[in-house]
Amino acid sequence: MIETMAQAAEAVARPQDVVVRREVKQRRDWAKLGLGVYFFIFLFFLYIPMILMAILSFQGDTGQLTFPFRGPVSLDWWKTLWDSNLFNTIADDVSASGRQSLWLSLAAGALVAVFGFMLSMAFRRRWRLRTDVVAFYVLMLALMTPAFLVGLGNQLLWRFMGETPSLWYTALGANVIWGIPFSFLVMLAVWNRYDRHIEEAARDLGANSVTTFREVTLPLVWTGVFGSFLFGFTLTWNDFDRTILLQNGYEAQPLPILIGTWPSSRPILPNLYALGAGTTAVTLFLIFTVLVAVTLRLRFRSAPVTRPAEELGEADSLAGPGSLRRPAE
Amino acid sequence: MSSSSTPDHLDEDAARLALEEVEEAEAVLAQRPQKAEAALGEGAGSGRSSGWVTAALAAPGLLWIGFYLIAPLVIIVLVSFWTFTDSGFERTWTLENYSELFNDSTYWDNMISTFVTSLIAVVACLVLGFPVAYFLALKVESLRIQIALFIIALAPFWTSFLTRAIAWTFPLMGREGALNQVLIKLGIIAEPIPEFGFSTLSVRLAMIQLYILFMITPLFFSLAQVDRHAIEAARDLGGNWWRTFREVILPQTMPGIVIGSIFIFVLTMGDYGTVATVGGGNITSVGTLIYSKIGAVQYPQGAASAVLLVIVLMVGVWVITRFSNLREEL
Repeated sequence: MIETMAQAAEAVARPQDVVVRREVKQRRDWAKLGLGVYFFIFLFFLYIPMILMAILSFQGDTGQLTFPFRGPVSLDWWKTLWDSNLFNTIADDVSASGRQSLWLSLAAGALVAVFGFMLSMAFRRRWRLRTDVVAFYVLMLALMTPAFLVGLGNQLLWRFMGETPSLWYTALGANVIWGIPFSFLVMLAVWNRYDRHIEEAARDLGANSVTTFREVTLPLVWTGVFGSFLFGFTLTWNDFDRTILLQNGYEAQPLPILIGTWPSSRPILPNLYALGAGTTAVTLFLIFTVLVAVTLRLRFRSAPVTRPAEELGEADSLAGPGSLRRPAE
Repeated sequence: MSSSSTPDHLDEDAARLALEEVEEAEAVLAQRPQKAEAALGEGAGSGRSSGWVTAALAAPGLLWIGFYLIAPLVIIVLVSFWTFTDSGFERTWTLENYSELFNDSTYWDNMISTFVTSLIAVVACLVLGFPVAYFLALKVESLRIQIALFIIALAPFWTSFLTRAIAWTFPLMGREGALNQVLIKLGIIAEPIPEFGFSTLSVRLAMIQLYILFMITPLFFSLAQVDRHAIEAARDLGGNWWRTFREVILPQTMPGIVIGSIFIFVLTMGDYGTVATVGGGNITSVGTLIYSKIGAVQYPQGAASAVLLVIVLMVGVWVITRFSNLREEL
């Protein structure tokens, strides 16, 4: 019996789990070097417009929209975003829009996190009549439908119902639509790493399902829930295509709408750059804060990570019947 | 792990687990990974109340999607068959919106140019994005550096498309933009190239820059799962760089390519914001055309245009999915 087991175990070890040590000839990997150079050129291409925009937002008061940089270096254009006494000020619009955007995005983030989490919980359970496949495709539809069509459809629907679309009742709903599938995919990756046996152990030790959920499940997956929140928040914080069709003009515009309608509604000055750089900075700051928090948290976990896909939650589940599968260490 | 069983059953238990593992390994070897939904659906939940709990968990999200996505899409189709009035639409069935649209050469010209833009974007994102994903997934050995670089590359995705479009349009492109200035300084061109500003060319370039991350991300994830030992084996067996790439890497990356292409195709076909900003009102696409119809309260015409766009999108996505069996791969 033992022999059969050993054979079976040997047969199942995935080929990539076997560590083969052999002498490697040290050769310069030219492909790697070339691709590395290309990668940094690519990053440059990706970031250059935003960097240029940020630089130009620090011009002096004779500043223009293009280079050369008209000095002296100053915060004049940034100040017009919050000081309402300055010439060319947009302080009132910015504070109203900023507040509107902030609350909308927070609400969207919370809704996305809750819906995505509950849906992913549902997908861990049995569904009747393969309804789960239908639900899965509905989620993919939510991911794939062009933003513009969601905006258009909602506008028509509200008109059909005889209501005026509004940011809080219509635009928020449409924004959450795009967040849900992202949240679902994030949670799917999280559940893939999750070991069900921990829940079983908690139950065996006498915890009821509420306690198990609160004290075992939730603490283990909260990073995913928080990631979902972040998705919902940033998608809404930056959305233009949906919201532009779903605002009624009586409410304070969210920031992206303010920025997007700017070129056609008022003179374009470097304070547009300041506003754009500012909103971008808020988003980047949020992401990096969260990433640092998550990284710190991961340090405390002992799960050994051997392949990048696992770290990013894309690998096939580690939580299988398990122990046989782990490579010997 | 099987500690819950009594010692008597340990052997049987272990053997059963081992057999399960064999089956799973066979499935992997046969290149048939479990579907995402199947993998998620396993285990937990039996008994009579379980169906209700599942339904209660899934209901809020699905109802929300039903009201804010499915109902609006249905309404678009309905309105496209209704009659245009000065105040919007009334519920009288008609095919006029469509017959009008089929004879509208502006609409079809825009459809073709948007389609060409999409096609260029898909191909360009694939060609330009593949080396980036390949480098990240297969050439960077340290996991920490890999993640850091991936996040740096991904960060702009989280920021506003619109801000990035504006950043692209005004400081960089345009007659006086940085690009023209640099090219003149370098002596490559004598006169500024006017096509850099508010033109089809600048819209297309901007779209590649704005959307390429939607290609790189799925590519990265499928490349990260390519079995490195298979690549080594191919090389050991004498395959040159090109054959290894074509026969080992490419087939395993197909799902990523397909998902990325679908993303780029759908996003660029349905784009409104980028065209409006980067094109500066000079350039039209199907999106801007529909938007202007809605602006003119021509709801039925706008809806009909949208329905045709969706049909083109669906055909396009269908054609793209022919390249790989996504349902199997997911």
